[in-house]
Amino acid sequence: MMRLRDMRPSFMRDHMWARRHLAAYLDGALDTRGRHRLEHHAHLCPKCHQLVATLVQTLEGLRALREPPLGMTSPISDSVIARLREESG
Amino acid sequence: MAGDRHAFPPASRRVRFGEMSDSDASSSGGLASGPGGLGDGELVGLAAAGRRDAFEELVRRHADQLYAVILRLTGDAGEAEEVVQEAFLRAWRGIDRFERRAQFFTWLYRIGLNEAKRRAGRRPASEPLSVEDGALAQTADFSHAPERRAEQHALRVVLERAVRDLPAGYRAPLILRDVEGLSTEQAAEIMGLKEAAFKSRLHRARLKVRDAMDAYLADDAR
Repeated sequence: MMRLRDMRPSFMRDHMWARRHLAAYLDGALDTRGRHRLEHHAHLCPKCHQLVATLVQTLEGLRALREPPLGMTSPISDSVIARLREESG
Repeated sequence: MAGDRHAFPPASRRVRFGEMSDSDASSSGGLASGPGGLGDGELVGLAAAGRRDAFEELVRRHADQLYAVILRLTGDAGEAEEVVQEAFLRAWRGIDRFERRAQFFTWLYRIGLNEAKRRAGRRPASEPLSVEDGALAQTADFSHAPERRAEQHALRVVLERAVRDLPAGYRAPLILRDVEGLSTEQAAEIMGLKEAAFKSRLHRARLKVRDAMDAYLADDAR
């Protein structure tokens, strides 16, 4: 839970700013100052901290899905090329 | 990195299409050092001139990756293979209309996505996807610790399911950008979206997948 002292206008301003710029942060599109601002806020705000941490973890997991499934042992290109040759005679 | 996968060959290996004379082409049976040494742009030029061997090299370069994308989108291996075949056939038939301002693979992926969408529109809404939970997550795992391996596998299954459960309009941006690692610009171009619209969809998709993962981790902690 957010504590009363954390509800200061500057905190809330940073909170709104962090939420608006979260996507850019995840894409590495914030400049150094912006990145520090968001990370500083996340350090103070448990909700943002949790959100950023789990989103980063999610993105890491998604990247790991990129390895091709085991079912893809034979290159699909063989069947595509066969079909291409068949169609173009 | 996606950029590496889709980058043209290093400058030292490039052969400009215009620099290859007709006699070079005919005396070597077509491609002086084999099509493997050419960049996509050069291969597209040759394919547009009717060289099927050049197009076949493009197939070898991009078919597996396109298949991986379409398989994640459709969840059906047979369907994905048909979509990939159709996408390449359409690309081959329309190669002379390809505007070379774009990269070949973004054009190809767009054809593939449209074909997948067209087929999905024909499929009855109630028809379930044929891939069982986790079937896509069966990847080689070199982790030696059994608990760690099981944990990673469970996480992959949760992620695969969360991605599959996304509405199609959110699933494609997430797969292209976060799984395949394409740039925002490339992925937005493939989807035919402006970057702002693409980013908005992507962020919503990430939040949905994150919610699924959060719920899984919370359950796991209990």
